[in-house]
Amino acid sequence: MSTTGLQVSTPTDTTIVMTREFRAPRRMVWDAMTRPDLMRRWLFSPPGWAMTRCEGDVRVGGKYRWEWSDGENDPALSIHGEYTEVRPPERLVHTETMEMSRCGPCGTLVAALDLTETGGVTRMRMTLTFDSREARDGALKSGMEHGMEAGYRTLDAQLAARG
Amino acid sequence: MIRRLAGGERNLTSLAGPLRMTFPAASKHVRVLERAELVTRRVSGREHLCRLRATPLGEATRWTEQFRAHWEERFRALDAVLEDLKAAEPGPRGGRRGASGSRG
Repeated sequence: MSTTGLQVSTPTDTTIVMTREFRAPRRMVWDAMTRPDLMRRWLFSPPGWAMTRCEGDVRVGGKYRWEWSDGENDPALSIHGEYTEVRPPERLVHTETMEMSRCGPCGTLVAALDLTETGGVTRMRMTLTFDSREARDGALKSGMEHGMEAGYRTLDAQLAARG
Repeated sequence: MIRRLAGGERNLTSLAGPLRMTFPAASKHVRVLERAELVTRRVSGREHLCRLRATPLGEATRWTEQFRAHWEERFRALDAVLEDLKAAEPGPRGGRRGASGSRG
């Protein structure tokens, strides 16, 4: 594999930038990142959680909503917002509000996705811009709190399917 | 698993037990962490000893690393979705069989 794995940086106090390459044309990456039926397959949740809602209207001013159930609360986590810039297959900007059943709204951010393609390889740059440094740090920490083991069940299933 | 490794080098059995994983499952997870360059593994006799990579990580750097590992997992799943899309569209100008078509 000659593609570059995920790199994460925090160039300013209120941003997180993720860059990664995918071995596919960018219109496919665009599809995988915007079509609910495809998003469900990779936007997975912590163990024991299930994605219960994944819908979106990918055009400027269009709304989207993703929800997860933890088995007791549905939704236990919801992420929703509005698309503010839609230029397939190169740039997508949306607002994002995260709410958890336990703690209510956890703040908002703006996510800007840029895709460039060279020789069949798509390079992604995702810039997350938060309201404050505290909000940004909170998002980084959430990766540690419940993100680390997230998806392992899915991963296990995939590994098992491969034998 | 990362939290357990934060306490120092551990063998796979002691990692797997408290997480209620089988040995092969724990080994797979360690392999993922190795690929994400978070963990190194050495074999001593019959033991697989794992440790966090010896980088003096500050707290903020550690958050970033964990955030990265979490998202890298998702993006690996996205790689698999992309492979399926490519398989459904064999030629460079194909697309008749694929679900992706020319939408978007």
